[in-house]
Amino acid sequence: MNNRGTLVAGLTLGALVLFIGFVAPFLFSADPYAIHPAYALQPPSLAFPLGTDELGRNEFLLLLSGGFATLVVALPAAVLAFITGVAYGLLSGLAPAWVDRILMRLLDAVLALPSLIVLLFFASLVALNNISLILLLGFISWPSLARLVRNETLAQRGRDFVLAAEQSGASRLYVARVHLLRIMAPVLVVNGTFMVGDSIFALSALSFLGLGVQPPQVSWGSLLESALDIIALNPWWLILPPGLLVFASLLAASLTGQGLLRRWGNAR
Amino acid sequence: MTPVLKLENLSTSLPRNGKTVPILESLNLTINAGEMLALVGESGSGKTIAALSIMRLLPPGATLAGGIWLGGQNLVQLTEPALRRIRGRSAGMVFQNPLAALNPSRTVASQIAEAWRVHNGGSKNTGRVLELLGEVGIPNAAQRLDDYPHQFSGGQRQRVMLAMALACRPSLLIADEPTSGLDPLIARQIMELIARLRRELNMGVLFVTHDLSVVEEHADAVHVLYAGKSVEWGSAKQFFAHPRHPYSEALLGSIARVGQARLHNIPGALPEPESRPAGCRFAPRCAHGQPDCEAAFPPPSQFDATVAACFYPLPLQERPTYAEHLAKPAPQKFTPQLQAENLTVRYAGKTGWFGAANTPPPSLREATFALGRGECLGVVGESGSGKSTLGRAVLQMLPYEGHVLLEGRDFGTLHGAARRAQRRRLQLVFQDPRESLNPRLRIGDIIAEPLRLHGGIPHAALREKVETLLHRVGLNPEMARLYPGTLSGGQAQRIAIARALAASPGIIVLDEPTSSLDVSTQAMLLNLLKDLAYKDALSYILISHDFAVVSYMADRIAVLHEGRIVEMNTTAELIAAPQHAYTAALIAAAPQLRRS
Repeated sequence: MNNRGTLVAGLTLGALVLFIGFVAPFLFSADPYAIHPAYALQPPSLAFPLGTDELGRNEFLLLLSGGFATLVVALPAAVLAFITGVAYGLLSGLAPAWVDRILMRLLDAVLALPSLIVLLFFASLVALNNISLILLLGFISWPSLARLVRNETLAQRGRDFVLAAEQSGASRLYVARVHLLRIMAPVLVVNGTFMVGDSIFALSALSFLGLGVQPPQVSWGSLLESALDIIALNPWWLILPPGLLVFASLLAASLTGQGLLRRWGNAR
Repeated sequence: MTPVLKLENLSTSLPRNGKTVPILESLNLTINAGEMLALVGESGSGKTIAALSIMRLLPPGATLAGGIWLGGQNLVQLTEPALRRIRGRSAGMVFQNPLAALNPSRTVASQIAEAWRVHNGGSKNTGRVLELLGEVGIPNAAQRLDDYPHQFSGGQRQRVMLAMALACRPSLLIADEPTSGLDPLIARQIMELIARLRRELNMGVLFVTHDLSVVEEHADAVHVLYAGKSVEWGSAKQFFAHPRHPYSEALLGSIARVGQARLHNIPGALPEPESRPAGCRFAPRCAHGQPDCEAAFPPPSQFDATVAACFYPLPLQERPTYAEHLAKPAPQKFTPQLQAENLTVRYAGKTGWFGAANTPPPSLREATFALGRGECLGVVGESGSGKSTLGRAVLQMLPYEGHVLLEGRDFGTLHGAARRAQRRRLQLVFQDPRESLNPRLRIGDIIAEPLRLHGGIPHAALREKVETLLHRVGLNPEMARLYPGTLSGGQAQRIAIARALAASPGIIVLDEPTSSLDVSTQAMLLNLLKDLAYKDALSYILISHDFAVVSYMADRIAVLHEGRIVEMNTTAELIAAPQHAYTAALIAAAPQLRRS
């Protein structure tokens, strides 16, 4: 696929996922949690486009509701991780060497912890709601970006245009804002898109383990998990759609990131 | 004399943006055994493509027409396997950047042996390698057989490349900018080595360069290319004494050399290969051009020992002499603006685990000098002599011992806002203009940066100031909206100067401001800097390894050697009577200065 194609495919797919998550749920007034025991575990039909689950709930409406629940946590978490990572990286890269050393060892410590274990640990400690989930997911995914930004800051802060600004009295904040952030913009945007994908995936994994979005609210991950309980009955219409949507979100983020990377890759 | 290389109507086209564009058009030249021909031109003239065409080392999609006669064969008609037998055996090549041409993971000896083995077979050939290394002047060659490229200095690497190129005793050596990027003293040694080897081996040399001053001493013949066409060629002696083509004259005039009150400006820029004029290529920029120059390409006309393709060749004229240069009036009364006292810079060494520091020698030792208002102080020396360190210490960019006083006020006694305000009055212009402009900022914002940082200027006034500054450095104010990516090197350097001027500095430190530019661009920039200094009583510290440039610009010159100022004097006296042996060596390495 050429550069443009990659980017267009990624953006289109991304728009589709956002539509499913944020627009589609509000197009249907029917209650997704309404139970129709008589129609339990129906394969797709005209009445139920994606069939029903074991309680007879309309899977199509559940999927839309779950999409909203997933994105409303995953996107802010990605934004939080992004801002934390960039700020931490800039601070570390511009601070005196001893501060940088301390901040980087702290970062090593966070990176050394397996993120899923950390998630499980904290999820068992705090009450799980949207806010705590955003904070948790945000906490696990910032360190790699922080390291990237810090290294990039060190590489760029000695460049001639930064020295010229400093000669005219530029503060570190000015250098970071005007020069470093702009010169790093491609790297940041690309990594930002990857972070969105990672965040959706992490939340789905967590929900799959029962520690994400809490019942009765469903999410893509928890829909997969509940389908797994009855996998012996082969309810393919309950497994494929949420799985495909998680996959589509990851693919959208990855394609968009790749497309932007190729487009900006050489324009340093 | 036997010709080793003969080019007949050699034309090369390269694919550019989906079209095939002629780069080199009908090049005719002959190199005899033992002769050195300098193929001269600015970037974009087609000179490197000419060198690559001879060995048919062109990118895919290139088309070649005409004849390349080497060793009785027309290379244009040879197949790739036949060409491989020619490359290296009949003609050797050396390139600009020897480090990139050597494999870093193999010993130098094995790479030289390979150059020999490919054509002659056999195995280790240590004896042959030693012989070659001795020939190119690598001392203690026997001990260096197991060394890798990074263990050799820049000049030695170029010698190694020469040893490889000469391994099979080719009848032709193609040298593409072999000395650029080397210190002048080293460059001179490499030039002398090439000159000696061609005599000893009776080898023809095609020397490709943009720098006429390098070739003057050694070349027998000169061939000047402009926008893909030959404009003047013939005996080097005659060419340097009496250039007939206006472009040759302008090119010679734009090199800083003794006897020149002002460098020659060539207006405009070299045309892109897609938009070359129909008639004489140089006509739109030519000072002597007539309307009919644009109609047809002028036929070559023969002079004593040179040929020029021009309708209105220049008459014989006398060049100004060295004495006239010395008669230049001395600078007016000396009021010190900047003083540096016992400036010493030490870079911190690696501190061991138990505090046992491994301190390297200081990069600058007890430099004391003063800079007068409106004066230009030249600082010359090799790489590593501490000249850039001196500039950066003055600019307060690194910690130093000693004192720097600007208008009597010591930086050491100033703090906070007062120090920042004083520091702004010292500005700098870097060597690489592209590196010194943030590619993601608009040119207007780049120039406005010092003004914004100073603060308190309303938006409209800021825009007006930026336009004035662009105008002062000779650029179109419309440019403010562009990004630096579209600029040529010379334009980018003008933007950098405009940014420095925006801070309304008293002193600008120019760190090799022209060394990445073509000669004609260099001349324009040096003239611009001179004009600015004259109009605004600006002072410069000009740091350069190019003695000729410094002597053109500077009122006084300080010579740095191993971190010390070994000599400081007015330019005329320093050149006329150098006191230190190192100064004398530097002057000897600048051919333009020896023509006294």
